[in-house]
Amino acid sequence: MRSVTTADRAPGPYRLGEEHEMLRDAVRVLADERVAPRAAEVDRTGEFPEDLRRLLADHDILALPFPTEHGGLGGELLTVCLAVEQLSRACATTGLILAVQELGSLPITLAGTAEQQARWFPALASGEQLIAFALTEAEAGSDAAALRTTARRDGEAYVIDGGKRFISHGSVADLVVVFAVTDSDAKRHARLSAFVVEVPSDGFAVTRLEHKMGIRGSPTAELAFNGLRVPAANRLGEEGDGWSIAMRTLDRSRPGIAAQAVGIAQGALEVATAYARERKQFGQRIGDFQQIGAMLADMDAGVEAARQLLYKACVEIDAGAADASRWSALCKLVAGDTAMRVTTDAVQVLGGYGYIDEFPVERMMRDAKITQLYEGTQQIQRLVIARALLGTAD
Amino acid sequence: MRIVVLTKPVPDPASGAERLLPDGRLDRAASPAVVNGNDEYVLEAALKLVEAAGEGEVILLSMAPATAPETMRKALAMGAHRGVLVTDPALEGSCAVATTRVLAAALKTIEFDLVFAGVDTSDGVAGVVPAGIAALNGLPYLSYAAGIEPDMTARRVRVRRISPTGFDVLEAAMPALISGTQALGEPRYPSLKGIMAARNKTIDTLALAELGIDPSTVGTAGAKTKVHAWEPPPPRAATRVIRDAPDEAARQVVAFLAERRLV
Amino acid sequence: MTRILVVGEVDATEAITKLSTEVATLARALADALGMETLGLIPSAGAEGGAGEFARYLPTVVVDDGVASGATASERAATIFAALESSLTDVHHVLLPASPDGRDLAGALSAFTGWGVLANATGAGSGDDGLVVEQSVFGGKLITRSTFTDGLGIVTVRPNTVTAVAQDAPGTVETRTTAPTASVAGVSVVDRIESEGAAVSIDDARIIVSGGRGVGGAEGFALLQDLADALGGAVGATRAAVDSGWIAYSQQIGQTGKIVKPQLYLALGISGAIQHKVGMQTAETIVAVNRDPDAPMAEFADLYVVGDLVEVGRALLDQLRARAG
Repeated sequence: MRSVTTADRAPGPYRLGEEHEMLRDAVRVLADERVAPRAAEVDRTGEFPEDLRRLLADHDILALPFPTEHGGLGGELLTVCLAVEQLSRACATTGLILAVQELGSLPITLAGTAEQQARWFPALASGEQLIAFALTEAEAGSDAAALRTTARRDGEAYVIDGGKRFISHGSVADLVVVFAVTDSDAKRHARLSAFVVEVPSDGFAVTRLEHKMGIRGSPTAELAFNGLRVPAANRLGEEGDGWSIAMRTLDRSRPGIAAQAVGIAQGALEVATAYARERKQFGQRIGDFQQIGAMLADMDAGVEAARQLLYKACVEIDAGAADASRWSALCKLVAGDTAMRVTTDAVQVLGGYGYIDEFPVERMMRDAKITQLYEGTQQIQRLVIARALLGTAD
Repeated sequence: MRIVVLTKPVPDPASGAERLLPDGRLDRAASPAVVNGNDEYVLEAALKLVEAAGEGEVILLSMAPATAPETMRKALAMGAHRGVLVTDPALEGSCAVATTRVLAAALKTIEFDLVFAGVDTSDGVAGVVPAGIAALNGLPYLSYAAGIEPDMTARRVRVRRISPTGFDVLEAAMPALISGTQALGEPRYPSLKGIMAARNKTIDTLALAELGIDPSTVGTAGAKTKVHAWEPPPPRAATRVIRDAPDEAARQVVAFLAERRLV
Repeated sequence: MTRILVVGEVDATEAITKLSTEVATLARALADALGMETLGLIPSAGAEGGAGEFARYLPTVVVDDGVASGATASERAATIFAALESSLTDVHHVLLPASPDGRDLAGALSAFTGWGVLANATGAGSGDDGLVVEQSVFGGKLITRSTFTDGLGIVTVRPNTVTAVAQDAPGTVETRTTAPTASVAGVSVVDRIESEGAAVSIDDARIIVSGGRGVGGAEGFALLQDLADALGGAVGATRAAVDSGWIAYSQQIGQTGKIVKPQLYLALGISGAIQHKVGMQTAETIVAVNRDPDAPMAEFADLYVVGDLVEVGRALLDQLRARAG
């Protein structure tokens, strides 16, 4: 008797395997039935949806990115992105809950010791705890390496002073990965280290929550660190590894944002298509007019192209491609711009109805904008791609 | 408690793409394969029983083309513990007689307390294979189950069998073979945990030689039936649409029925 | 001269089932076309009453009382197998009703004899190589014609394939006892429960009034029952109605329910999606009432009324009752 495990069949690059389809469909059903009905309210109130975070935890969705030995489901990048995409189709804020959980934990996955992973992963996998990624500062956005928060060694601890801005989940996270300068004299990219701050902690404060254009249910926080003590055992990797950890993290987390963008765009396309089928003007449904039909066709082409690039990028990054940075930047660049264009067109298709909150497309358009901004602006993505193409100057 | 669940990958009935090959055999490549609908109900029943017992396993058994592991994956994701697949190119084109013999032989290689099967499959709809397997292997056969209650201590099983006027309660000793229907209850959606766990579950394959079956007695070579001709059914006449008010509409319906001597 | 064996079924009151008489009628026509003879068999002790009725449709009917009246289909199959090997060696084809018991019997008999099975026949006739069986496959998308490769076989026949026609003069009934040769693992019937107000069976109903999601609730089905009574038919339902608990699973028509071929299928509040369509699309006449003018049912119904099913249904009921006087 010959044994064949179902794991023998890895998905090919052009078709999702049965397992991925099952997973995608399972998340879609949940998104349609339980998340979608809450989306408008989450946007209107701007409140973090604790109930939806618990829903994701209960259904093991937050466990997807974590290794099985710590209670996770051992999902690869493609699996996580499939889930983010389906959730974001219904509600961009909810898709972000999974995406940020992945973003925040990647530094621990990439640079944490076995002991650190065993310490933090179980509660993150179960969804009991949330984690945030704190790199950006008021004066250090695209120029992240210029950040100024410091971490001074003091015996068996570090003392962190400074602050962070625009940190997703900064006010609801139990763990915050903070990037700080440990050696201001070192070369630019060796100045930083990464620390896992356990919250609440003396010296850690949330000083502001932003009122945003979109993803309004996702708390975006300003953090202040005043003599915040962090055990040395909470440092990830060695001193000076911070920049590398941050960049390698973004290489793997950008597809998550691309997935959010693809999901938002798909959701908008579906609303616009349904509207074009139902709405009649001049004696026929508006979808049958060429101007509308052409718009919808272009929207579909855009979403599908962004989606396929995303899936391909996930597979390449997981396979250890040498140009992972390029794949990561490509998929986020294309998906973000597509989401903005498709959601804007969706509002256009709905005409006046697209502008009011009776239909979700105005929210989707507001939600889409962030995918061109965070985890590296589109301009930064282009920089990364150009650099990959051209190499450094001789 | 060990329950074998017979499963069959069938062309997806929702696809509408099923068709036959030029020689009359089913073209399995024409549409994606899914687990036969009725098999999911008995699988769900098996999973519930093993979960309630707190021990045991659910084993899938299938006779299918080599691509079957993909279809069995959903059943594994629902919670089945492992699978056994009998696959051999010589089996292509097998009729119900060969299918019965092969599955009966494969069943003999597995230790079990109960075997569950769907009453029929959406591609063949014959509903004869489970009864045949039971007859060949000397197993008590209880069919059209709407409820299944095993008693592991007494080694007996009770089945509620749908009858024209209600239901009968049947009982037999284990091991037994039971065929079941939709009345057993909705199958669960595979959970994410189940979907990911399915990766590491094994499907053991069996070839005909291991079962001691002569290839010339199965497959197209050994088939007892042959499809000679096929065509779409005669088209129905065009639909006549009535949009009148209820009384007038009803009047027209009655006239229509009277014309056809149905009233 | 070979013979076609027709296995008859009796119901709980020992009466021969309507489907059995249809199969017998079909067998007679086949025998004429193929130059064969027919023989009826009821493998059940004490079935003389039903056998008498069965004999109106066949020249000879044998009651084999080697089988207890409460025996399972597998036990009956063992007795038939023994008979085929001893006194009925000239039987090359066995025709059975495609009822649940009939299918069970066909399966066990096929295993004992090694004969092929052509199931759910919607027609049968003669061809160059002998018996040709017509079947409807892929949810009715195709009609196929098949034969047995070695001239031996078992056929299960669907309800309403032919109309039962009695012979000019009734046939004879004999009793035999055959001891089964194959052993069958025992199954005992511990109880028989009759449901309160068990519905008229849809299996071989001539007319079915069927309801779907549009009926809206269990109370809504009362109107359908009234219509069914007025038309002399049975009430059917889609999966949606059964899943919602409005009507029992025994009345469900479709992919995971029953496949029916009534003369009239009156569909109220049914969209006609493929899962249901495969269960009823071969009905001779399909009349549908639905609020949605674009439902899939509109494409294959013979008569499609766009309207509220309660209003149209009540008007229809009133008019049918008025007609009956």
